[in-house]
Amino acid sequence: MDVSELKKNAKLEIDGQPWVVTEFQFVKPGKGQGLYKCRIKNMITGSVIERTWRSGERLEAANVESKKMQFLYATGDTYTFMDNATYEQIEMTADVVGDDRAYLLDNLDCDVLLYNERAVGVSLPSHVVMEVVECEPGVKGDTATNVTKGATVQTGATIQVPLFIKQGEKIKVDTRTGAYVERVNE
Amino acid sequence: MRTPGATDGVATVCAWWDAAFAAVRDVLRGQGLSEVSTPVRLDAIAIEPWIEPVRADAGLLATSPELPMKRLLCRGAPSIFQIAHCFRAAERGALHREEFHLVEWYRHGEDLGPVRADVERMHAAVTAAVREGEVAPLPWRTEAWLDLLRQTTGLDLRGDETAPQLHEAVAAVRPAWARPLPWQDDATGPDQVAVSRLDAWTALFSAWSDDVLDPWLAEQGRVGLHVVDFPAPLCALAQTGSDARGRAIAHRFESYVVDGGRVLELANGYRELRDADEQARRFATVAGLRAVHGLPPLPVPEAFLADLRGYGLPACAGAAMGLDRLLLLATGSHDLAALDVHLGAPR
Repeated sequence: MDVSELKKNAKLEIDGQPWVVTEFQFVKPGKGQGLYKCRIKNMITGSVIERTWRSGERLEAANVESKKMQFLYATGDTYTFMDNATYEQIEMTADVVGDDRAYLLDNLDCDVLLYNERAVGVSLPSHVVMEVVECEPGVKGDTATNVTKGATVQTGATIQVPLFIKQGEKIKVDTRTGAYVERVNE
Repeated sequence: MRTPGATDGVATVCAWWDAAFAAVRDVLRGQGLSEVSTPVRLDAIAIEPWIEPVRADAGLLATSPELPMKRLLCRGAPSIFQIAHCFRAAERGALHREEFHLVEWYRHGEDLGPVRADVERMHAAVTAAVREGEVAPLPWRTEAWLDLLRQTTGLDLRGDETAPQLHEAVAAVRPAWARPLPWQDDATGPDQVAVSRLDAWTALFSAWSDDVLDPWLAEQGRVGLHVVDFPAPLCALAQTGSDARGRAIAHRFESYVVDGGRVLELANGYRELRDADEQARRFATVAGLRAVHGLPPLPVPEAFLADLRGYGLPACAGAAMGLDRLLLLATGSHDLAALDVHLGAPR
C-alpha cells in the first residue's frame, strides 16, 4: 500500500510482525515532503513504537482477517468471545483488546481480528447504545450541546454528554471517537 | 473563548463560517480588490514537488486557483481575490483536509509588504468576528529564512548551494538531515543540477521545519511570524534576487501563527514571476524532481505559459491563505474536524 493510505487502525506488516496504527499525524511543511508520523502497536506483543514515513514510500499491509464474534464476558484481565458460527470460544487479554474495552457490552457483536489464526484485536461497530449508570442531575430545558458533563456507563467508562442527560437514560456513543452522538428513547 | 468540539452544533459551525467569509470579503474589498470565481476543474495545475491533485473525470481539481487567476491578470483583470475550494490528494490530519478553502489574492503594482499586511488584517478580522469578548491584537514579526536557519541550527548558507555543496554543509551540522538529501548531481545534464538542487533544498526545509522550526516557534509565545526571503531554490512561482548580504533569495514569504500552543502555517506569498521562459524551466525542474521520486507526471500548464508569453503578467504580488486554518485559530480549535459542515465522513 502507498503511505498516503495510512490512517488510524491501519494494519501493517513490518519484519513479519503485524502492527496497528494507534495514532496518526500528518505534517507537511510549506510545499515540502509530507511526513506521516505514527504511533504503532505490535498486535501480538502490545509494544508501542513511533515510526515516521515520508510521502512516496510504500508499506506492506498486514494480512489480518476478521471473524464475526460475540463478546461474552470479562473476568479480571481476560476477555472471552464466542464465534457466532462455530460457538468456539477465544480469549484475549485486556492489553490486546485495548481502549475499545470501554465499549464492550455483554453480548455485543463485533469483529475479532486474526493474524495467522491468532486473536490480535477486536473491531467494534461504529456506534453502541449504552446506559448512563451515574451522572450529575440533568439540567431542565438546557438543550445546548456545547456544554458537557461526565457520565459513567455500564462498562465503567466515562462519556462526555450534554447537561440534559439523566441517570438511567440510554445514549448512542461513537466507538471511534468516544463521543456522545444522541439520546436514545426506547 | 468557546471550547468547540465534536458536540458543537451545525448552527454554531455555520455561524463561524459565515463570519469568516464576511470578514475576509470586508478586508479585501476594503483594500480595493474585486472578487472572482475561477474554474475548479482544470486541464493543468502549477506543478509542485509534493502537492498531488485529485483527478476528476476529465482534468484535475484545482490544488490552488493560482494559474487561472494569473491568466485573468494577464488579460487585464484588476487586483482580485477569491475564496476557492481546493483539493490536495492524501492530505489528511488535524491540520489537513483533502478539500479545503484557500483565500487567494493578487495586488497590482505592489510588493510583498502590503500582501503581508493583508494576512495580518484578515487574521485580526476573522478572529474578532468569531471570538467572544476582546482579544489582544497579535504581535507580528518578520525573519529572513536563511537567518532563522542559522539562528536555530548554526547552518550559514548562501542560498545558491548545489546539492553536493548543501549535503556537505548539512552533514557537518546535522548528519541525520543529510541522509535523505541527494549528495551528488545526476551527471546527465545541466537540468539535473537544478533538479538535485531543488530536491536537496526541499528535503532540508522539510527536516528543519519538523525537527527545529516548529518546536522553536511553539516556544515563541503568542506571535505571528512572516518568514521572508526564502532561499532561491525554493522560489516556487516567485521572483528571485539577492539580499543585502548578497545571498540568493526568492521574494517569497510564509506566515506562521503561534497561538494557544498551536503552530500553524497560514499563508504563502510571492512577488510573482513574470518571465515565461523561466517559468517553463521551473515547471520542467519540478517535473524532473517528481520523476526522480516516482511521482506521477503532470500536464504542463501550456495555456498559462501562453498567456504569460502572449499578454504578459503585470507586476504584482499575491498570496494564498488557508481559511480553514485561520478559522481553527480564531475559534480556539485544535482539529479541523471542529469546523466540518460536511455531512458524512470528513476527508
